[in-house]
Amino acid sequence: MSESTTQTNSVAAALVSEDDVIRVQDLRLNFYTNLGVVRALNGVNFNIPRGKVLGVVGESGCGKSQTGLAIMQLTPSVGRYEAGQILFREFASKEPVDILKLDKNGPDMRKIRGNNISMIFQEPMTSLNPCYTVGAQIEEAILLHQTQDKTESRKRAIDILQKVGMPNPERIADSFPHQLSGGMRQRAMIAMALSCTPTLLIADEPTTALDVTTEAQILDLMRDLQNEIGTSIMFITHNLGVVAQMCDEVVVMYLGRVVERAMIDDLFYDPKHPYTIMLLRSIPRLGVNRDMRLESIKGSVPDPYSQVNGCPFHERCPSAIPGVCDTIMPDEIFVAGSQTHTVRCHLYT
Amino acid sequence: MLNYVLRRVVNMVVLLVVVSFVGFWIIQLPPGSILDVQINRLRQQGGNLPEAQIQALRERYGVDDPFLIKYWKWISRSVQGDFGTSFQTDQSVGERIFNRLGISLGLSLTALLFTWLVSIPIGVYSATHRYSIPDYVITFIQFLGLSIPGFLLALILLIVAAQLWNQPIGGLFSPQYADAPWSWGRFVDFVQHIWIAVVVLAVGATAGLTRVMRANLLDVLNMQYVQTARAKGLKEGIVIWKHAVRNAIHPLVMALGTLLPALVVGEALIAIILSMPTIGPLYLDALRTQDMYLAGTILVMLSALLLIGNLVADLLLAWVDPRVRLE
Repeated sequence: MSESTTQTNSVAAALVSEDDVIRVQDLRLNFYTNLGVVRALNGVNFNIPRGKVLGVVGESGCGKSQTGLAIMQLTPSVGRYEAGQILFREFASKEPVDILKLDKNGPDMRKIRGNNISMIFQEPMTSLNPCYTVGAQIEEAILLHQTQDKTESRKRAIDILQKVGMPNPERIADSFPHQLSGGMRQRAMIAMALSCTPTLLIADEPTTALDVTTEAQILDLMRDLQNEIGTSIMFITHNLGVVAQMCDEVVVMYLGRVVERAMIDDLFYDPKHPYTIMLLRSIPRLGVNRDMRLESIKGSVPDPYSQVNGCPFHERCPSAIPGVCDTIMPDEIFVAGSQTHTVRCHLYT
Repeated sequence: MLNYVLRRVVNMVVLLVVVSFVGFWIIQLPPGSILDVQINRLRQQGGNLPEAQIQALRERYGVDDPFLIKYWKWISRSVQGDFGTSFQTDQSVGERIFNRLGISLGLSLTALLFTWLVSIPIGVYSATHRYSIPDYVITFIQFLGLSIPGFLLALILLIVAAQLWNQPIGGLFSPQYADAPWSWGRFVDFVQHIWIAVVVLAVGATAGLTRVMRANLLDVLNMQYVQTARAKGLKEGIVIWKHAVRNAIHPLVMALGTLLPALVVGEALIAIILSMPTIGPLYLDALRTQDMYLAGTILVMLSALLLIGNLVADLLLAWVDPRVRLE
């Protein structure tokens, strides 16, 4: 492990720019459950440049949500970090801190949560507490991190509600979550997440539970606010269409590893990893012959309790090289001629 | 809100009338009457009873009146606050009941408060430390509490209190304090007398509600909004107590409605063991001797308690959870 890790790190290190908000290095996370050990993250490397939107894509169970939770240190208690670090740098001039070194429930970590890094979840229907008004829940974060003054926090809450496009912010602030629609609740969540103008916003599938029209509105809103506030966004999704609309760079994850990383155009026009290529082929497109069957990736994700030798994708990969792909784990390398595009595949070594 | 309460109160009155009618009818169903009980008693004391005297008693008690007339006599006066006279003691029913009802209610409310004060924190601890050794210990004690009969526990505690701790037991006060004015000594004496009753009354409900609290909180802790609260940077304690517990507490609030009369009735057996002058033993006695007015009045009082308890529970629930609408 050690040799491949150092090599991977050097590639990742060459890739990172000076001013990264988050730098995740060789993050390994295991879940110790009654049924056995689940290797959720097996050495994840990526960085989020300041002010950019990084998309994280992959199918269910690939570890994309766990990576987001790890940055917040909200990993379920059965999870153990086996290795790695998450470096967070609030300002370009500030020294980075390793989030994983902070006490999970300690004051330093709580100061980062909600203040410097905040998170939006997938289910707007259940992510607001039904017992408190929307305004009170937004104010709670403001009172915790920004100001002690109640009238000031109220003013800020209404301001931010207005910013996320709520038609009547005073009335919305006094409403309970069950009185709002799904789209409105997600707007309220975004308002809450942005209320302390965080350095990084982690959006874990924020539009998956919404209908397409609302989804488009929410994405527009996030993009606008991102331009306005300058917050970096880690956008976790399985929807490549959303990625195309939102992101500057993309990380493709498979079974707890980053298998490809590229600028948005490179990913869509010049995908390298067979998994990425197949993901893109499985999206229905306008103007394509209707009688053609949509491609699917054969097989399914390996059992999370087992360990796969070699490249974790080799069993499903159409271009797997027998004797190589099923025995040797490929390293993360640059695609020839690029400084930003990396891939973890034997086809390109 | 006010509208809702008014409507509920009107409903309660109608319901109470129905309950009193049906209850009174059932109470007078068994053959014989209070008169037979009285005649037997008088005969045992003083031999033969002249027929004329029996006839006089018969008229006085209105034993031969048709049911509807009996009911009307009782209910029309009850509405004015006169619940009739107890056949047994010739005391007014109101006098006999209210003293005891006060003690019963006080005892039950204390037990209810005890139940909440114990079961909420323990349930929360048990849920947040699931599958730890303290959780197992708590679970074990809970099942013990659920399965041990109240009268047995009362007897055990009586022995422990009297033999090991030398405490006065039985009744409400020791003789020297019985008629004394309130003082610190009298208060301590009072607490020493009633704590066993409170504990015994509360133990079953506490065990049950702790279990409910634990299960509910475990559900709520998996909800997304708990994660949201953590992601805000709140302390774990605030996350649990402000965001999770408030959503898990519904069954405990609803328990108020059903627990209150259950406690009032449930204390009968325990009150007999601890010789406490509460409503339970009186009710039992009234039913046995067919003291109709007394039994009927107690029945209506208990029903009223149930209805009031439910109303209070509903109002509390609406206050705890804004999704509950009072319409």
